[in-house]
Amino acid sequence: MQKPELLSPAGDLERLKIALLYGADAVYIGGMFNLRANTPNFTIDDLKEGIDYAHKLNKKVYVTVNIAMHNKEYEKITDYLKQLKKINVDAIIISDPALIDIAKKIGLTIHLSTQNSTLNKKAVKFWQKEGISRIVLARECTKEDIKDIKENNTIELEVFIHGAMCASYSGRCVLSNFLTNRDSNRGGCSQICRWDFDLYSDNKKIEGDRPFTFCTKDLSLADHIPELINLNVDSLKIEGRMRSAYYIATIVKTYRKIIDEYFENPEEYKYNKEYKKILDDVANRDSIPQFFDGNFGKDVQYYNGRNEMTNQDFIGIVCSYDEKNKLAKVQQRNYFKIGDYIEVFGPKTTQKFKINEIYDEDMNKIEIVRHPKQIVYIKVPEKVEENYMIKCIDKH
Amino acid sequence: MSKISVIISSMKQAKDIKNKVDAYLIPLKELSINYPNTFRVEEIKELKKLNKELFVFINKNIHNNEIDKLKEALEKIEKLNINGIIFYDIALVELKTELKLKTDLVWHQEHMTTNYATANYWYDKGVKYTYLSSELTKREIKEIKEKAKGKIFVNTFGYIPMFTSRRHLVNNYLDTFSLKESGNKIYKEGKYYFINDLEEGTSVYSDYILNIKEDIDADYIVFNSNLIDEKDFIEILKDYKNNKFKEETGFLYQETIYKVK
Repeated sequence: MQKPELLSPAGDLERLKIALLYGADAVYIGGMFNLRANTPNFTIDDLKEGIDYAHKLNKKVYVTVNIAMHNKEYEKITDYLKQLKKINVDAIIISDPALIDIAKKIGLTIHLSTQNSTLNKKAVKFWQKEGISRIVLARECTKEDIKDIKENNTIELEVFIHGAMCASYSGRCVLSNFLTNRDSNRGGCSQICRWDFDLYSDNKKIEGDRPFTFCTKDLSLADHIPELINLNVDSLKIEGRMRSAYYIATIVKTYRKIIDEYFENPEEYKYNKEYKKILDDVANRDSIPQFFDGNFGKDVQYYNGRNEMTNQDFIGIVCSYDEKNKLAKVQQRNYFKIGDYIEVFGPKTTQKFKINEIYDEDMNKIEIVRHPKQIVYIKVPEKVEENYMIKCIDKH
Repeated sequence: MSKISVIISSMKQAKDIKNKVDAYLIPLKELSINYPNTFRVEEIKELKKLNKELFVFINKNIHNNEIDKLKEALEKIEKLNINGIIFYDIALVELKTELKLKTDLVWHQEHMTTNYATANYWYDKGVKYTYLSSELTKREIKEIKEKAKGKIFVNTFGYIPMFTSRRHLVNNYLDTFSLKESGNKIYKEGKYYFINDLEEGTSVYSDYILNIKEDIDADYIVFNSNLIDEKDFIEILKDYKNNKFKEETGFLYQETIYKVK
């Protein structure tokens, strides 16, 4: 039994560092030509800094280059891939096979994106012969599918374990192109699947208690991790390159614990149900195992309109700690004040207490922290470090 | 000059339009998606008698437990000596090699067939045709036609599939709210979109009927008859460049953006 890689998304350098600090073995990030065109993304310099940081920790960085290329993108891709090779990226994640020969000549390791919706052992076999090192399986695969694919191939398999789902087969939705002129397969997806529609039977409107939508619940395989490990899945992937640092820290830390706890004592391992609460607290939709257990009936849908929950309990991130005065320098992320009961957690430790003292940057005492990214100091009884997260448990 | 190819909806229609058509594109029962009218192998055999080029759609995503069914279908189709199989799932490329099939393949990963280099990648793997994405401009299609080694299909008429899911999105909704009707359209901001929830999953189509009346750089132009009135469809085929219906060029002159800022 081999410990699978825990693979986290990272939308920027801060989140890359947090993902690795909180227990990810590898991160996947986007530079150019990736499916999150409307996020800041990594410049080559950022990528280099992130890769160097990860390699010092003996961890890996994969770069997504997974758009459906049009002619003009294809003509620019070689130079970009050469740059990625130069900065020692561990692998690129592609969906367009025209990149295979170019990447092989440059000497890059290639993973095949879930955009290709690889669902069966024959497709996997083809890609392995083409020189692909790893397949990111389609999210529609069941446990039996994964088992059979693994047993019939020697290639590495990566499986999504947590996060949002496409309502369509990945790559087979261009609702965004048609309804908003934004190209979903080139990173412009405007998430039409989360919109409400009216459903008609010919000319008669069908009225349910809530509007029709394609929207699905999120994926969580937290209580199926031992099964995935025993299927010899090579990499367990978390979705969400646009998610917050707090989300990344919480999800990665929780899955790290689950994997490690199972390996400590597989025979007596029991899923800690507390983890479900922790994962649910940072989610903005309900989570279920989705296709893994073969279920794609009505219970996978999410008819809750756009009223998704937000994570306003994440109030700040620790920048540094003065051990002598027990003061943590904190960057604010949500409103908080004196008297709030908070939890400060890092990769290994957690402490809970009531906020009694807050100071501004000039060390004046203040009562309320209301400005986004405001720097303040709060009294924290036990030692914390940079990138520890602060969440509000109970508002005063 | 481009050949006229038609995605057919019925055997009768195929016979009715025989004189206007160079090739029939035929969705195979249980292994195709996005086309509500599908055909059995025996019916395809019957269509051979019309002496036209025949291409069969096997364009659904192939789940692992469907491999045996796919093999069986491929072996039957091989015996029909048709012109090609229009595929989405890469399992078909692997099985063509394993089963030593002679039938040509048409690469049609639907919205991802978007450049000449990938068309040529597949050509070098023995895939002699590419069926292009509908989300391309006229300029992009022209360049692909110039630089691709194989033959090119381009959609020019009909509703365009724009969403394909394994999920039963309509039935899930009806079940959730205990509704008895069967939905076939969705509405948003003044536009209606056909939606089909069938055994293989759910498909959603463009709000408009693509109707390109000008010349396109393609070896085959495709007319999709699904959801179109039969008489209107015959009218279109009589003289598509001068048909009386509203011209709709889709993305031909409308490049999609992907970076908003």
